[in-house]
Amino acid sequence: MSYVEATPLGARARRRRILRRRFLRRPAAVISLLIVVGAVLAAAFARWVAPYSPDATDFNALLSGPSREHLLGTDDLGRDTLSRIIWGARASIQAGFLATVLAMVVAVPIGLIGGYYRGWLDTAIARVTDVLLAFPFLILAVGLAAILGPSLLNATLALGIAAVPPLIRIARGETLALREEDYVRAAVANGANDAVIIGRHILPNMTSTLLVQATLTIPAAIIGEAVLSFLGLGVQPPTPSWGVMLNAAQPYLNEAPGLAVYPGLAIVIVALAFNLLGDGLRDVLDPRTER
Amino acid sequence: MGVFILRKAGAALIVVFLASVLVFVGVRAIPGDPALAYASEDRDPKVLAAIREKYGLNDPLPVQYVKWAGLALQGDLGTDSRGLPVAETIRTRIPLTLELAGLALLIGTVVGISAGVIAAVRRGKPSDYAATTAALLGLSVPHFWLGLLMIIVFSVNLNWLPASGYVPFREDPVENLKHMVMPALVLGLGLSAVLMRQMRSAMLESLAADYVRTARAKGLSEWSVVGKHALRNSLITVTTVIGLQLGALISGAVVTEQIFGIAGFGRLTVDSIAQRDYPLLQGVVLVVAVGYVVVNLFVDIAYSLINPRIRVSGART
Repeated sequence: MSYVEATPLGARARRRRILRRRFLRRPAAVISLLIVVGAVLAAAFARWVAPYSPDATDFNALLSGPSREHLLGTDDLGRDTLSRIIWGARASIQAGFLATVLAMVVAVPIGLIGGYYRGWLDTAIARVTDVLLAFPFLILAVGLAAILGPSLLNATLALGIAAVPPLIRIARGETLALREEDYVRAAVANGANDAVIIGRHILPNMTSTLLVQATLTIPAAIIGEAVLSFLGLGVQPPTPSWGVMLNAAQPYLNEAPGLAVYPGLAIVIVALAFNLLGDGLRDVLDPRTER
Repeated sequence: MGVFILRKAGAALIVVFLASVLVFVGVRAIPGDPALAYASEDRDPKVLAAIREKYGLNDPLPVQYVKWAGLALQGDLGTDSRGLPVAETIRTRIPLTLELAGLALLIGTVVGISAGVIAAVRRGKPSDYAATTAALLGLSVPHFWLGLLMIIVFSVNLNWLPASGYVPFREDPVENLKHMVMPALVLGLGLSAVLMRQMRSAMLESLAADYVRTARAKGLSEWSVVGKHALRNSLITVTTVIGLQLGALISGAVVTEQIFGIAGFGRLTVDSIAQRDYPLLQGVVLVVAVGYVVVNLFVDIAYSLINPRIRVSGART
């Protein structure tokens, strides 16, 4: 009997295939990934996806309910709600991703250095983190947004900085645990310098933790952007953003409740998708937590 | 035990000191001349100079800080831009927020802990899925949107509850609760989602522990196994989580008060930013930070009382 020899896979490729198979077995995670990708694409190609310009006014349809022309109705200026939600996704997605990237870029090196070298520097880092954690996430973001002035970029910066302290804690904790691993000791015995140990042995082993943390930070930042814009500290009208739209909907809760319902629904769907994706990734990457 | 409390209190003091420095420097980093804010319409250089002199704005920053901190320690947070004492304003606003937060905490813990226990005990059954899904949804729903939805349903459509405002409890308890139901639910349900997830995983861990197997082997009733053994040990973990969630509660109060038109502490925070009222903002944020640190100190101490392992190892800080 002849048989075809299986192509030998590298260890890395095999692991990737196992992870992919494990991920595909989770319908909630797969659907969430599709929603996230869909939201990102809709935001990126808003110009072509949205039926109308976000600023186009239709004075024949003010505060109208859902109709064939305006699938989700219109606001007090006759602007199409669906189009504004699609354009508003830009602010949310941008704030969510950029704030998270910013927080990671700042927090991970600090956590790595503190956890790896320990000593007075680590103590100082831990104390400063404690101080920053004394301010609730949103209070810190609101305060920073007030200092920086209201705009999407500043709101993103504020959210990113506000997300740094908990991430430092996580990166530092992981580093403290990983530096005691046998392979780190082996690398030290082999004469590897600190940069190699941190970059090749410690950082790669915490990427799954960081990835999961990122998928949980993004929805927090998306909701944070909505809150800041809602309070007038983020995106400024007439630029569409889900928070701005919800704020503008307040006087019309009676006549046009849809104005308050749909943008919030958009926030919930996107935030939920990220949270489910994070849960799924955690299960896939760390089988110990399998429930 | 005494040493443990002293060490914790010392660390909390350092955090409070550094936080006060941060607040002081942060508020001064806000663009705009504070003298202009005090003077409101008046742009006369002489008036501005007099204001700078009066409020010590010409002093070097460290001197300003020491003056401010010295007075703050005596409970004097200065006067806001309308000349009203900041400490007094904060004192009148805080009870509203404390009531809101207290009710929310009650709703959050009762709903969250019972849902978590039920989900863990009935793991894999429909009630577990229902509770887990609801919690996940609760984590993704922003407070302010839930608030708007509740107003649409219960105030606009059904006309059951007032959409905004506040009536002091002493004046009219029924009206007070009517005004507080929706804000407290909005704030409490978010908290319950977090607590439910923590409680469920803590319970699952306890239920798989050896002492639970021993309890079952002894022939104790299921009720006693779950209620006395597993629940008690799971509550230890959840206590810390409640402490950590207080920050989220404060943040949530800011937004919730904004929506329901409650003139509490959260509203004061937003107003002080909108009006660029430096001394007010400074006092408000300082009170938040100090309150948060103090509450967490108490949580730490309570935690060590119910879980002696922490005291001995002392490693987890």
